[in-house]
Amino acid sequence: MTASLADFRIVHPTTVKDAIAARRQQPPSRFIAGGTDLIVNIRRGIIRPELLIDLSGIDELSEIRADGDGVTIGAGVTIATLASDPIIVSRYRAVAQAAEGIAGPGHRVMGTVGGNLCLDTRCIYYNQSEWWRSANSYCLKNRGDTCHVAPQGNRCHATFSGDLAPALLVFGAVIDIAGPQSQRRIPLSELYVEDGRAHLALAEDDLVVSVRVPANPPASLYEKVRARGAIDFPLAGVAVALAKSADTIGSLRIALTGTNSRPFLLTDTENFVGRFVDDKLLQEIDRLVQKQVQPMRTTLVSANYRRVAAAAVARRLVSKLSSS
Amino acid sequence: MLNFEIVTALLAKAARGKVLMQLSREETFITHRARPQTDIKLKLGMTKSGRMTACECTVTQRGGAYAGYGIITILYAGALLQGIYDIPAVKYDGYRVYANLPPCGAMRGHGSVDMRHAFECLVDRMARELKLDPFMVRRVNLLKPPTRTLNDLVVNSCGLDECLDKVERASGWRERIGKLPPGKGLGMACSHYVSGAAKTIHRTGEPHAVVNIKLDFDGGVTALTGAADIGQGSSTMVAIAVAETLGISLDRVRVVSADTAVTPKDNGAYSSRITFMVGNAAIDAAKHLKGILVKAAARKLEAKPEDVECGEEFRVGQARVPFADVVAAALVDEGAITLKGSFTCPDEFQGGKHRGGAVGSTMGFSYAAQVVEVSIDDATDMITVDKVWVALDCGHAINTLAVEGQIQGSVWMGMGQAMCEETRYLEGLPAHASFLEYRMPTIAESPPIEVHIVESHDPFGPFGAKEASEGALAGFPPALVNAIANAIGIDLNELPVTPDRVMDALIQRRRQARLASARKATS
Repeated sequence: MTASLADFRIVHPTTVKDAIAARRQQPPSRFIAGGTDLIVNIRRGIIRPELLIDLSGIDELSEIRADGDGVTIGAGVTIATLASDPIIVSRYRAVAQAAEGIAGPGHRVMGTVGGNLCLDTRCIYYNQSEWWRSANSYCLKNRGDTCHVAPQGNRCHATFSGDLAPALLVFGAVIDIAGPQSQRRIPLSELYVEDGRAHLALAEDDLVVSVRVPANPPASLYEKVRARGAIDFPLAGVAVALAKSADTIGSLRIALTGTNSRPFLLTDTENFVGRFVDDKLLQEIDRLVQKQVQPMRTTLVSANYRRVAAAAVARRLVSKLSSS
Repeated sequence: MLNFEIVTALLAKAARGKVLMQLSREETFITHRARPQTDIKLKLGMTKSGRMTACECTVTQRGGAYAGYGIITILYAGALLQGIYDIPAVKYDGYRVYANLPPCGAMRGHGSVDMRHAFECLVDRMARELKLDPFMVRRVNLLKPPTRTLNDLVVNSCGLDECLDKVERASGWRERIGKLPPGKGLGMACSHYVSGAAKTIHRTGEPHAVVNIKLDFDGGVTALTGAADIGQGSSTMVAIAVAETLGISLDRVRVVSADTAVTPKDNGAYSSRITFMVGNAAIDAAKHLKGILVKAAARKLEAKPEDVECGEEFRVGQARVPFADVVAAALVDEGAITLKGSFTCPDEFQGGKHRGGAVGSTMGFSYAAQVVEVSIDDATDMITVDKVWVALDCGHAINTLAVEGQIQGSVWMGMGQAMCEETRYLEGLPAHASFLEYRMPTIAESPPIEVHIVESHDPFGPFGAKEASEGALAGFPPALVNAIANAIGIDLNELPVTPDRVMDALIQRRRQARLASARKATS
């Protein structure tokens, strides 16, 4: 049963252009940066690339650049670097908190921003060994035709578990994507699709090169609910950005991870603008979160717990930000 | 018993070569023998003053497709129901059922941990109902050694009273209980464990432990033991036992352990037997050597052997002979000396004559009391253990540092099992077969563990010592659950107490409160 790492070739391009060219030439291939998620999945036989395209030698991907209009974070910036970057720590606190909360110290040194944004979705029926999955007739996300989480349905419910995405979403982040022909910029929220099997709106040869957050951000916080104080993926992760206008809410964005197949911005939070943050409003936020999250039995912790905890954390973060 | 050692040996024999058996983490999780899922139904009788009157208990353990050690596990659960408190009447029924799952076995605190959890939680709930102090309830029921329990377990020493005093004081229990801020609580519990099963697992009539000892011309003493030092410090314990008995410097003693070519067979590191049994055998071996050395020293000093004091210098009154000269004298005509010592638990300690009566029998129980302080997050129902105070009666701490480490280790392991470690199966497939899903605590949520050592000086233990590695484990889960009850008024029945279980219990309580008030309104 012991699975060894399958054979693959690896190339080390030094430019984005060469990386994309390598990807076009020989599928099945995969980009690899820190490899903290990808290598585990290769070892488990979930993905079987013949070629790995190592992005760690591309200098242009590993910069954090601040200018008058905001901050651009290269996709190759490591999580550890992001977590300790002075600008991120002082102005984009939710991002720093999210980075600090990812996995363990070793993962943060290896893992990258791009890797965390494009993290594969996870499920208790999917992140298992080849032996395990084959004994269970595989699943809708991988080689099978049934979603064991919701056998009656026809979609995959694997959960997105990246911590950075919600923290960036609340700032209205945009991402730059390099393709074979051109580079394009889209809102980060448009990168994600509510489908556990295909949750990224990226073509095979697209590469996320950077993420950009605007200047003068509102105050923000991120909190993740997890079984232990380290290592674990979020059972639910909540980011909140709140700007005050006098004593009322000037702007409010709430984003979530760990509850759906994609990280997403809570809709209808603009209705809270101009309101005082009181118990009534916090209850409305709680209800809004509970209504919009869709946790399923993709983890060993119950879906209902993740729903209720996500809402309670959102409430707490809004309360904290309004009183600070 | 795990089969892969035997499988590997048979393969090597058949192949006439070396065979390496390699297991992935997943395979390790599937083939190892974890604690069985245990369902407990417990009924306790208690007077208004807190004296226990009777106990009725039914335990069902889910085994696997093989019995393995399971019979012993289910017997342990019943046997170690006793041995702490004076319970005048006990009825125990144990069922160990086969299941189409991997087999289970003897995890630290064999069979006793879930049982102790149920017992200590119930005692706490009854104390609350009777408005009695939980420390007092334990104190008034403690066994007074030397005594025998209903199931013929012999209790020769017990320092639990002192353990209770120590953790009560150290945690500031009296000043703080009931006065903590919302979401914070204190809980306590007691536990115990055997210092080696008094009945050996082999029925050969051989001693429980044998240690060989060798002295050569260089003055070095070598102790040979089959006991494997698995990190618990057993080799150091053997060295100390030998050095202490001979009165010589520790660096004179070398321990060779678990090399089957030269060391006598040992029964293994199970039932916390090594300090008690191998320690006693090491002392016995050292005493034999001492006898020879004393005679040699007596010859040199022209004195009676009974007047000779042993040590780095042998002494009779003012006269002194260095150890090296005594060794040289002892080796004349004989050459290098090899002796052996052994230890056997007499029949009277080997448990009752009833079926399964041998299980749980020991010459010395270790005892522990602990206090756990918790905080519960009002948004996520996450539990944080803020601090643990634990006191363990290990009879005598042969190696204080190792004892502290062992106690911290067992408390921490108890914490993992109480809070997050769980084996679950999805359609018969293990859902926990990795360190991501089998969640051991990380250092991030590991609390400070304040250790207090109590020394009750067991009459039969080596230098009065008893076990120090398993006794403190079983107290953690009930102390935690009792602390949660103290903090938020919820009595949890299931382990581990994951935040979703806490949330479910809180939701249930709100639902019941709503129903009750609705009923009130309509009546």
